[in-house]
Amino acid sequence: MEYLATIGVLIAIYVILSSSYDLVIGYGGLSTVAHPIFFAVGAYTAGLLAIHSGIPAVLNVILGGVAAMIASVLLAASALRVSGDYLLIASLGFQLGLLQLIKNLDFTGGPGGLTAIPSTVTGAARTPFFLVVSGLLAVATVMGIRAIVNGPYGRAITAMRDEELAFTALGRDATSMKIVIFAIGCGIAGIAGGVYAYYFQYISPDQFEVLQSAAILTMVVLGGMGTTLGPVVGAVLLLAIPQAITFLNLPPGIMAPTQGIIFTVLVLLFLFLRPQGIIGLARKTL
Amino acid sequence: MSDSVNLTIDRGEILGLIGPNGAGKTSLFNLISGVLRPDSGSIYLNGVPIDAAALYRRARLGIARTWQNMLLFRTMTVLENLLIAPRSYPGESILRVVFAQGTVRNAEARTRDRAMTTLARMGLEQTAKEMVVDLPFGQQKLIGLARTLMNDGPVLLLDEPMAGVEGAAYETMQRVVREEAESGRAVCVVEHNVSFIRDLCSRAVFMANGKILQDGTVEELIASSALTELYFGV
Repeated sequence: MEYLATIGVLIAIYVILSSSYDLVIGYGGLSTVAHPIFFAVGAYTAGLLAIHSGIPAVLNVILGGVAAMIASVLLAASALRVSGDYLLIASLGFQLGLLQLIKNLDFTGGPGGLTAIPSTVTGAARTPFFLVVSGLLAVATVMGIRAIVNGPYGRAITAMRDEELAFTALGRDATSMKIVIFAIGCGIAGIAGGVYAYYFQYISPDQFEVLQSAAILTMVVLGGMGTTLGPVVGAVLLLAIPQAITFLNLPPGIMAPTQGIIFTVLVLLFLFLRPQGIIGLARKTL
Repeated sequence: MSDSVNLTIDRGEILGLIGPNGAGKTSLFNLISGVLRPDSGSIYLNGVPIDAAALYRRARLGIARTWQNMLLFRTMTVLENLLIAPRSYPGESILRVVFAQGTVRNAEARTRDRAMTTLARMGLEQTAKEMVVDLPFGQQKLIGLARTLMNDGPVLLLDEPMAGVEGAAYETMQRVVREEAESGRAVCVVEHNVSFIRDLCSRAVFMANGKILQDGTVEELIASSALTELYFGV
């Protein structure tokens, strides 16, 4: 039961990560691989504040989001003044550079990571508590992003993604909008990081490597980029399927390769048969 | 490329900009609207230099333009293409959307009314909810013009509005452009369709190799054998 609840917490956290990443790349059209580092900024901020300060947990998680947001504005404001493509290069450099910094600093725990992050809730109530909190945050994230992308602001995001030059020539400040979308997405990832730190009570740099971007991107693409429910479906499937395979009770030497094969085949099947994702819409072009 | 161009467009005037392909006509529009920055010289709007203003700021100052290849928002409906287009768009600010919902809602309602009125001028109000990519080419050109007209500023730059357009759409385009000039806007039209220029423009400018070669009435330009040779190669 504890195991299933932990999977539930992980699914909720990755729903938050994939939905916020979809806001940035699917709706905003911004190319970035730095989502894991903002997840890390939130986790390390909340974790360090939990260890060294008496600040309440809720505030620490929020501050983790704020720290991620500030870091994202610094990155986007400098990169986007050059071009949108430059953001991809800058985000990779930012991801790798900041992670290297974390690995080399003593107060972050170095490569061994940050341990003994104090728990907010102990005992039998701990896991159900985190399941409810992460679940509510996931629902709030999905609904919040839905509210953003519908209505006049969402219309602006869609137009900017469709034809940025025409959008700008109508009087819209595309660069500022991109920075705002990037900041919102990364801030939400930071909040997910704070919850992650408090639940697992241990974070290390190798949990936030750039390959995490590939995993989160796969969730978004499989589920349907630029849709509200796509990242949710993608996160649930990509976390639940490998876990479901464990219930086949295969011998350990076969289990891992079997998981990998089934997982890879599923991803390839979707990419060939339904590239717009499970929830995705067919896009028409002029 | 535009080279040593000296040009004035007055309110209420429809200025034709003609010349062979590669003459620099669209480049000139790009310089005026802010897509390109000049190496030297200045651009003035109502006597005020606007060189420091970025593309989006020039649009807010009232410079509206169309595009040769339309650049419509392809995943949106006709109405949505127009709703995003007024000079002032409160929905662009996430802070206003969250904390000033009433203001945004009221602005949306006013913009919606303006958009439907603009579509009605084009005879296209029935297409409002259709995806813009589903419309015939001529109607898409009219939608491109309608979207540009949502900017109610003093300048209207039309880049080959008649390319590929004929029949009812042609006449609608002519009528609307004339109405815009009569309302006091400074209109400049790049066109290869000489009939359109002749019917609409009080004055025209001939460009080639980035320079203005002649400025005068349309009849004067057409009568010049040197320009005719440059334009038509005969």
